[in-house]
Amino acid sequence: MVGQLAEYINALSTQLIKNKVETYVVTYHDSLTGAVEEASGVTVVRVANPVRAHIGVLAWDLTLNQEVERAAASIYYQADKQIDLINVYDWHFIPAAVTLKNALNIPFVYSVESLEDQRSPNSNTPYNMSIKSIEWLGFYEAKKVSVKSEWMQNEIVRIYNVPKDKMKVVSPSADSWINDVLELYKTVAGGLNST
Amino acid sequence: MKKKLSVMMFTWEFPPRVIGGISPHVFFLSKSLAKNGVKVHVITCDFPGVPAHEVIDGVEVYRIDSYKNPAPDFATWVYLMNLNMQKEAAAIVNKLADKIDVFHAHDWLVATAGIGLKHVFRKPLLVTMHSTEIGRRDGLHTDTEKMIHETEAWLTYEAWKVICCSDYMVSHVRWAFGLPEDKLVMIPNGVNTRVYESPEKEDRDAFRAKFALPEEKIVLYVGRLVYEKGIHVLINAVPKVMEKVNAKFIIVGSGYMKEQLLNIVRSMSLEHKVLFMGFADDETLLRLQKCADVSVVPSLFEPFGIVALEAMAAKSPVVVSDTGGLSEIVDHDVTGFKAYPNNPDSLAWGITKILLDENYKNYIRENAYRKVQEKYNWEKIAQQTKTIYKAVLGEYSKSFWA
Repeated sequence: MVGQLAEYINALSTQLIKNKVETYVVTYHDSLTGAVEEASGVTVVRVANPVRAHIGVLAWDLTLNQEVERAAASIYYQADKQIDLINVYDWHFIPAAVTLKNALNIPFVYSVESLEDQRSPNSNTPYNMSIKSIEWLGFYEAKKVSVKSEWMQNEIVRIYNVPKDKMKVVSPSADSWINDVLELYKTVAGGLNST
Repeated sequence: MKKKLSVMMFTWEFPPRVIGGISPHVFFLSKSLAKNGVKVHVITCDFPGVPAHEVIDGVEVYRIDSYKNPAPDFATWVYLMNLNMQKEAAAIVNKLADKIDVFHAHDWLVATAGIGLKHVFRKPLLVTMHSTEIGRRDGLHTDTEKMIHETEAWLTYEAWKVICCSDYMVSHVRWAFGLPEDKLVMIPNGVNTRVYESPEKEDRDAFRAKFALPEEKIVLYVGRLVYEKGIHVLINAVPKVMEKVNAKFIIVGSGYMKEQLLNIVRSMSLEHKVLFMGFADDETLLRLQKCADVSVVPSLFEPFGIVALEAMAAKSPVVVSDTGGLSEIVDHDVTGFKAYPNNPDSLAWGITKILLDENYKNYIRENAYRKVQEKYNWEKIAQQTKTIYKAVLGEYSKSFWA
């Protein structure tokens, strides 16, 4: 666990399974690799970076993306190509989601936890700009953008000029949270198989 | 009708974008493959003034957005460029009526694009390793070098077959990445001899006079001005040659060693004998190769040595250092002179011998020209490459991916 995202994904994937949505989580771990079926019924695939030496977070992230992409493609083929959508969290694995979309026609939802402009205000070094360009790519290629608050929605309009109707506010503290998530998924996938 | 074998190649350079040897290699290989009935799609970086998509002699060339924002460093730019390359290539493959049979990557510069597309489309990946980081740098000293090395190792691991352009490179790559022997294939690099046969528009003496006095012999170096190319060894050989022959040294190419080399030349007071030309256009380069009295390739690390082959095709006698692929291209005293690597005395000896002995010079240049035509022609190389594609597809057809 690095931030709060791990717990959120754990709660979300468990809820999705309860709502009869077949759910796979692809994530990073540098020693525990491979697919594990959790007690909740979620299949978690952990991948490690095949490149061990690194010069920075960006290069590390971009090489790790290939393993995320490989694992996701593998899930897609094992599931007889029946993957309706990908939900990608923050910029880290947008490259994988973008290739999978363009290659296999799987639409993706980009869930925004935070933005580079907020994490590093007024920083426009090539490093920050590269991350911003990946965020931009995510907004451009995503079918829908999921945000946790209206404030974040306004931030995305302010920084990236993303049309408001491309975004949906899904508040994790709302009673309707999981239904909101399912609603969003339905609009992206055009109807989930299991519902 | 039987579907054509279809290949998608990834390369970070393709004419008119020329940085090193990969650009001409992929250009001639793809065109010769197309002539041999293979459908070839080349995915490469964009270049100002040329279209994003064009068909060149049957080869579909796509030039992708090579990521033009400032990147933190070169290696990170490579991965960012690969992100774009992968995204655009994925969409191209997705829309093609005829699916791609094989992906073919050239060097680590397109590693992640090749690896990614292999897995999303579940098609075999081949790689041609033109060079290695551990060879270029003579070891791995920094995190960047280690990262590039590990990316190369990963690429060769993911590849179905690893093609190298010389026997030297086969054993080097095998050693560097610990690969099984049957994963490696040697297919030589080629040279287009026809371009050297075309008639010249301008009188040769008039052209020559732009670079050297009539009484000066021309010693030509073509290559980047970087450590691994051994250009400093040639510069140190200049006064030793000058003791015996009046010559003009023409240096074509640029690189980080330029200032350092200029300082050495200045310290020897030989500025009037060494001409640093920088980058030369194709036409000028070709004509220089044709009128050079000797071409020198003094590399310390050389996976193949295409410059030596080009000189041989231009009928310019060659002096090379006895290393890497150069050792295989040149037979000592038959198709060229092999000097001890990193040894200015040995290099000067070879240059002087060729410049002073007309019979020796004519003997080796004729032999060299014949060898180039027989062994390093693109038609033959394309056939060998097509055979490897077919062999890989045969194995692939029995795998669960098929």
